[in-house]
Amino acid sequence: MHELAITQDLVEAVVAQCGGRRVRRVVVIVGALAAVLPDAMRFCFDICVEGTELEGATLEIEEGTGQELSLRGVEVV
Amino acid sequence: MDRSHEHEHEHAHAHVHAEPPTEMLRLEHKLLAKNDRLAGANRAWFGAREILALNLVSSPGAGKTTLLERTIRDAGLPIHVIEGDQATDRDAARIRAAGSPVIQINTGSGCHLDAHMIAHAAEDLDPPKGAVVMIENVGNLVCPALFDLGERAKVVVMSVTEGDDKPLKYPHMFRASELMVVSKMDLLPHVDFDVDQAIENARRIRPTIQVMMVSAKTGEGLSGWFDWLERRRTTAPGSASE
Repeated sequence: MHELAITQDLVEAVVAQCGGRRVRRVVVIVGALAAVLPDAMRFCFDICVEGTELEGATLEIEEGTGQELSLRGVEVV
Repeated sequence: MDRSHEHEHEHAHAHVHAEPPTEMLRLEHKLLAKNDRLAGANRAWFGAREILALNLVSSPGAGKTTLLERTIRDAGLPIHVIEGDQATDRDAARIRAAGSPVIQINTGSGCHLDAHMIAHAAEDLDPPKGAVVMIENVGNLVCPALFDLGERAKVVVMSVTEGDDKPLKYPHMFRASELMVVSKMDLLPHVDFDVDQAIENARRIRPTIQVMMVSAKTGEGLSGWFDWLERRRTTAPGSASE
């Protein structure tokens, strides 16, 4: 499903902004109308992070408004 | 966790397993920003060539390809097509036989076309100035609503066999569409489909939605569809047609 494309975008964005640091936690906001299934995103996340600085990180999904779909923050080492 | 050991070894573990300090980085990054950016580039590319690019969406089997075949044969417009399906080039073959240049995109397990795919296909298709580019999306009323391709407008095709409450059940797609084409009107006598109710439902989701009833089989309503295309073609992008 398209959660894969979105999650790949997410992982790329985190890698680009974290300068090689290991990531422990990723926080995203998913609006109620964003048409993204959190479970599908979690599933894709575990696959997409393998071999990256995000491997083993947890994905926290917070509910947002409307169609909001954004990366809020990361916890890095 | 083995609770019988927890108390005894708690302090020892605290030294051995100390986690390295972490830092929260606050980022504000819109996901799908990349697709939106590429879609914007596509929109500019089409605009520079004065091309009317339309994103044709529907459930699988609503009649998009058949409508396109009729349009190519009878509308008298310079139509180029980008076809999207999970597998096969059967639709592209039909379009080619109807007389239009066409590029087939196979998404594999993917459920929608995205701006990146369209950028490459449009380049390969190389439509001339003033052409009409019809992008026939993967049959899916859910996912394509999320992925801007750089089109001027979305046209949703809904057949009379799909139930007049379809717009209420798939509001994202109907809200995103400028025009709803109700297809397979030749089957109307055989189904419980209330056309007026369907229009009312669509307007409840998007009050400004335009509606057209057609049968690609009998030709009913097609001249209205061709006129809409011609009008849309000569209206500058961004002007109020919504």
